[in-house]
Amino acid sequence: MKAMSFEPEQLSREEAHENVKETIENNEVALFMKGTEMLPQCGYSRKALGLIGQHRDDVATVNVLTATEAYREKLSEYSGRETIPQTFVDGEFVGGSDILERLDDSGDLAETLEV
Amino acid sequence: MNADEVAAIIEREIPDATATVTTPRDPDDDRHYAVDVVSPAFDGKSLVDQHQLVHDALGDHLTRDIHAIELTTSTPE
Repeated sequence: MKAMSFEPEQLSREEAHENVKETIENNEVALFMKGTEMLPQCGYSRKALGLIGQHRDDVATVNVLTATEAYREKLSEYSGRETIPQTFVDGEFVGGSDILERLDDSGDLAETLEV
Repeated sequence: MNADEVAAIIEREIPDATATVTTPRDPDDDRHYAVDVVSPAFDGKSLVDQHQLVHDALGDHLTRDIHAIELTTSTPE
């Protein structure tokens, strides 16, 4: 049994790039985060997960820690930035955890997440 | 990179911007910043575009020297 470790298996650059494309295109709500739904590894990623989770239970999450640089590189082609987390709805970049919070404050989050 | 440098870059790059940069977690944490930017340049822009202006202003510093920012943007009253 593989020892339980927080060191995620590393993906190749190509796998990470393909994962970005496939996850964005094939899911209504996609969240690229540090860590997993079970074990978020960063406060902002946990915050984004919590905010989205209030409205959707079908968010596709990707743990960018399996290939951080490759994920940043490919994600910036879609969002124009390399910071994590990043949220996409119907293939469109929505924002990081700060934007999700602003949308939550203004009561527009549900609509943005197309509930 | 300290908070003043972050504020200086933003104010240099974004027209008539006032940037307030603080460390939300602990004072000597120089990698996670709360950044508030007020500028007429945000007028009429969507939330994402407003944030994009700040991300572009910080360029490579973001993720290399600055680990993460919590961003709030607004136009002057």
